[in-house]
Amino acid sequence: MIELIGLTKKFGNVTAVNNLSFTVRKGEIFGLLGENGAGKTTTLRMLATMLKPTSGTARLAGIDIIESPEEVRGRVGILFGGESGLYDRLTVYENIQYFGELNDMPVKEIKKRIQKLADAFGMNDFLNKRAGKLSKGMRQKASFARAIVHNPDVLLLDEPTSGLDVGAMREVQTFLMNQKEEGKTILFSSHTMSEVEKLCDRIAVIHKGVLADTGTTNQLFQKYRTQSLEELFVRLAGDGR
Amino acid sequence: MKWKHIMTVFKKELKDIVRDRKTLFSSIVVPIFLMPVIFLLVGGGTARMSEEMTTNITVALSEDSYSPAAQNFLKESLEAQDDEITVVDPVEDPWEAINSKKAKLVVSLDRDFEDKLENSEPFTLKIYYDNSLSRSGGAVGALRSAINKLNGIIAEQRLEALGINPELLTPVVVETENISKTGDGNMMLMMLLPMIIAMLVAVGGIPAATDLVAGEKERMTFEPLLTTRPSRMSILIGKYLTINVFSFASVISTLAGILLAFLINPRSITMGMGQIGGFSLDYGSAVLCVIVTLLLGMTFSGLQLAISTYARSFKEGQTYLSLLMFVVIIPAYSTMMIMPNDIQLYMYLIPVLNTISAFKLVLGGLTNYTGLILAVVTSLVYVALSLLAAASMFRNEKYLFRS
Ligand SMILES: Nc1ncnc2c1ncn2[C@@H]1O[C@H](COP(=O)(O)OP(=O)(O)OP(=O)(O)O)[C@@H](O)[C@H]1O
Ligand SMILES: [Mg+2]
Repeated sequence: MIELIGLTKKFGNVTAVNNLSFTVRKGEIFGLLGENGAGKTTTLRMLATMLKPTSGTARLAGIDIIESPEEVRGRVGILFGGESGLYDRLTVYENIQYFGELNDMPVKEIKKRIQKLADAFGMNDFLNKRAGKLSKGMRQKASFARAIVHNPDVLLLDEPTSGLDVGAMREVQTFLMNQKEEGKTILFSSHTMSEVEKLCDRIAVIHKGVLADTGTTNQLFQKYRTQSLEELFVRLAGDGR
Repeated sequence: MKWKHIMTVFKKELKDIVRDRKTLFSSIVVPIFLMPVIFLLVGGGTARMSEEMTTNITVALSEDSYSPAAQNFLKESLEAQDDEITVVDPVEDPWEAINSKKAKLVVSLDRDFEDKLENSEPFTLKIYYDNSLSRSGGAVGALRSAINKLNGIIAEQRLEALGINPELLTPVVVETENISKTGDGNMMLMMLLPMIIAMLVAVGGIPAATDLVAGEKERMTFEPLLTTRPSRMSILIGKYLTINVFSFASVISTLAGILLAFLINPRSITMGMGQIGGFSLDYGSAVLCVIVTLLLGMTFSGLQLAISTYARSFKEGQTYLSLLMFVVIIPAYSTMMIMPNDIQLYMYLIPVLNTISAFKLVLGGLTNYTGLILAVVTSLVYVALSLLAAASMFRNEKYLFRS
C-alpha cells in the first residue's frame, strides 16, 4: 500500500533521508521512529509529494509519487502540524469544504461528507464557528475531519500527538484506530514510545536518514532482547552500535 | 493547472481577506477617506494661499512718511485702481505690521511727493514686503499693477494738458490669449493623478500579498494547502488573481476618495489652481493607458507574490515589501513635475514611469501611439517576468519549506 523504494533526499551536503526502503501493508498502522533530525518529516513530505526525492521513489496505493503527484495527493490524507493548520477566519465548515473542493469533490458530496464527519467527531456545535475562536481540542477535530474529507485510502501524519495533553492524545489515538477499522493505511511519525507500542502493527526506526531496522514491535523486542521500546530505540539509534 | 482549482483558491482567498479587517481597511477603506483629507487639507490650503495673495490686499503707509495728504493720496488713487486694495491706518514698523497681519504691504512716499506731483517730477513710492510670507510677497504684483495703471492715468492727464495725443506713448499694443487646450486646473491634475494612480496600482496589493504566502507560512496553513490535489501553479495563480484584485481595488477606492473630495469642495482637487475643463480625450490613447495601468498592477502583483514567498515570516515579508514601496515612490515623485510635452520615449519603457507617462499624455490631450504601444508591449514582458519570478519561488522547496 505504501512502498518506499530507495527514497533519498539531500539538502546541499546534508543527506536527510538516505536510500530508505520499506513497505507498509494495506490496513496497517505503521510507526516511523527516530530522534530529532533523523529524517521523519522529510520522508513524510516526500511521500506527500511536497518535496521531490533526490533519488528513489515511492508508490502510494499503487501510484508513483514522481509520475503522478496530483493523483497521489488526491488519494492521501495528510496531517502535518496537528491542529495549527486551519484558516482562522473561516468557519470549521468552510475549512473542510475548501479542502473538499480542492480535492475535486462534488458540492453535494462535500455537504454529505461534512455532516457525516461532524456527527462522527461531535462537531455539530461548532461547525459554523470561525476556527480562530475554537479551543485546541475542537481545532484538532476539525483538522482531522479536514484531512480525511475526501475519504483517502492512505493517511500520513507527522507527530500527530506531539505537544498534546493526555486527553487530546487519547483522541488522536482513537481517531487512528477508527481509521484503521475503516481499512485505511496509516503511516505516522512519533517520538512517544508508549503510543507507538499501543497503536502500531509495525515500526521502522530511522537514524540519520538511514533505516536502522523494521519489523513488528514484538519482533524487534526479541531481536534486541529488551522489553521496552525506549531501550530498543537507544540501542538502535545510539551511535557506535 | 486547472481553472477550477484556480477559482476555488481565488474565491477562498477573497473571502478570507475580506474577513481580515486589517487588510481590507488598509487597501480599501483608508484610501476612500484619506484622499478627501489630503486634498481638502493640501488643496484647501493652497487654494486659501492663492486667495490670500490676490484678495483683500491691505496696504499701510509707514509712520515716517505719514501726512494726512499722503494718506489721502494713497487711499484715493490706489483703491480706485483695484477693488481688492484697501489702504489701512499708518504703521510704525513695516516688518512688525506685516507679520502681525495689520497689513500685507507697507509703503513709504517721498515727503515732498505733493510738490513733485504738482511739478510733473517723478517721486518715489517704496513698497516694503516680506517674501517669506506668501500673503505679502504674493501681493506685491497686485500693488505694482495698480501703480502702473495709476502712472498711465496721470501720464495721460499730463499729455492731454500739453495737447499731445497719449497714444504716442504706446507704439506697440500687446495682447495675450492663452490658447492652451487644458485649463490651469488640469495642470495640477496632470501632476498628481498619474502619480497617485501609478503608485497605488503598484503597491495596493502589498497587504494582500503579505498575508497570502508569508502570512500563511507563519500561521502554518500553507503546508496543508500544498498537500491538497491542485498543482502548485493553480494555487499560485489563484493567489495571484487575489492580489491583482486588491491592487485594482485600491485604485478604485482612491478614485472614489478623490471624487468625494471633489464633491465636498470642487476647488480642492486642483489644489486651488483654477478650473478643470477643456479635455480633448483621445479614446484610443485612453484605452491603451488603462491597459498599461492594468499591466503595471499585474507586474507588481507578481513581484509581491515572489517576495512574499521568499520571506521567512510575515514580518520579513512586510519589510521586503515596504522596500518595494520605495522603488515605486522614488520614480513617481521625481517625475511629478514633468509635463506631457516633456515625456521622453524611454519613460514608456520603465515600469511605473510608463503608467505615469501614459496618464499625463491622456490628461494633457496629446497622442503618442508609438510610446503607448511600446509601453504595452514592454509591460507584457514585465508581467511575464514577474510571474516567472513568482513561479520559480513557488517551485523552490528551499523557500517554501524554510522556517
Ligand atoms: N528545507 C530544508 N533545508 C535544509 N535542510 C533541511 C530541510 N528540512 C530538513 N532539513 C534537514 O534534514 C534533516 C532531517 O530533518 P527532518 O525534519 O526530516 O527530521 P525529523 O526526524 O522530522 O526531526 P524532528 O524529530 O525534529 O521533527 C535535518 O538535519 C534537517 O536539518
Ligand atoms: Mg519532524
